[in-house]
Amino acid sequence: MKPENYKKLASKYEPKKPVLKNCIRAFWTGGLVCIIGQAVSYFFIFFFNFTEQTVGNPTVAFMIFLSMLLTGFGVYDRLGQFAGAGSAVPVTGFGNAVISAAIEHRSEGFVLGVGGNMFKLAGSVILFGVFSAFIVALIKSVF
Amino acid sequence: MKKWALTILLLAGCAPEHDGTVILETADPDAVQLDGKHDGFAEKIKKEADSIETIYDTAVIKGKDQLLVAYKVRHLDRFNMKEIEKDLDKRIQEMESTEEVVVSSDYKIFLEAVRLKEDMEAGHLTEEEANKRLSEIIKLKEEMA
Repeated sequence: MKPENYKKLASKYEPKKPVLKNCIRAFWTGGLVCIIGQAVSYFFIFFFNFTEQTVGNPTVAFMIFLSMLLTGFGVYDRLGQFAGAGSAVPVTGFGNAVISAAIEHRSEGFVLGVGGNMFKLAGSVILFGVFSAFIVALIKSVF
Repeated sequence: MKKWALTILLLAGCAPEHDGTVILETADPDAVQLDGKHDGFAEKIKKEADSIETIYDTAVIKGKDQLLVAYKVRHLDRFNMKEIEKDLDKRIQEMESTEEVVVSSDYKIFLEAVRLKEDMEAGHLTEEEANKRLSEIIKLKEEMA
């Protein structure tokens, strides 16, 4: 049987994906992560000398650190299974991608295992983030 | 039981703040003048800023040679932040202000302006100390990310 025919046949018997339900879950969970982020940034503004201009960096650092801890404790994985993109798209997904890759490869050694594979998933985020920042900066300096 | 605890916790968040500087509510602090004059110029500036429809809360502090106008912009109008700032700045300049004018929509600056006003009213600060605090707030405003 050709692979295309097999795919067609298999799709007939596959259970339907609950797209709407998944979207609603992602929306609420993603929104909740953003509310927590907003609360953290107000905390920094209220109790420390950060303005709305400067509060972005500590907030992002805190949120990434929090998701790294939650990944280590196995909480974020459950959240990821429940919310899908809702937990992966916010900046917390970055922390999760780094730590989950590190945990997965720790049996291969500290240097080649953890060190070599830590940014396997998050590397593309850094690469495209830096590249798009470069393009935006270029456009801003030209116009 | 857990549901009740969560409901109580969420409702607790709705309790009013005591310092009048809550994030979404209007604090509407009186204008403060730290230059020793009582010509009501700071109050005039506040009225002018309040007359802009997109602004819903303003704090004005007039120091010896600096004037700080901190304001909050309605949520959906935050897309036009630059135009609002430009408009407000122009209106203040037209009032023949000779001081260094600093306008800011930053929440931290607003918060610090209200705190300064409250400390002044409570008698914790002398006029000189208040002027120093004003300069520090303006310095904070000029810090970039």
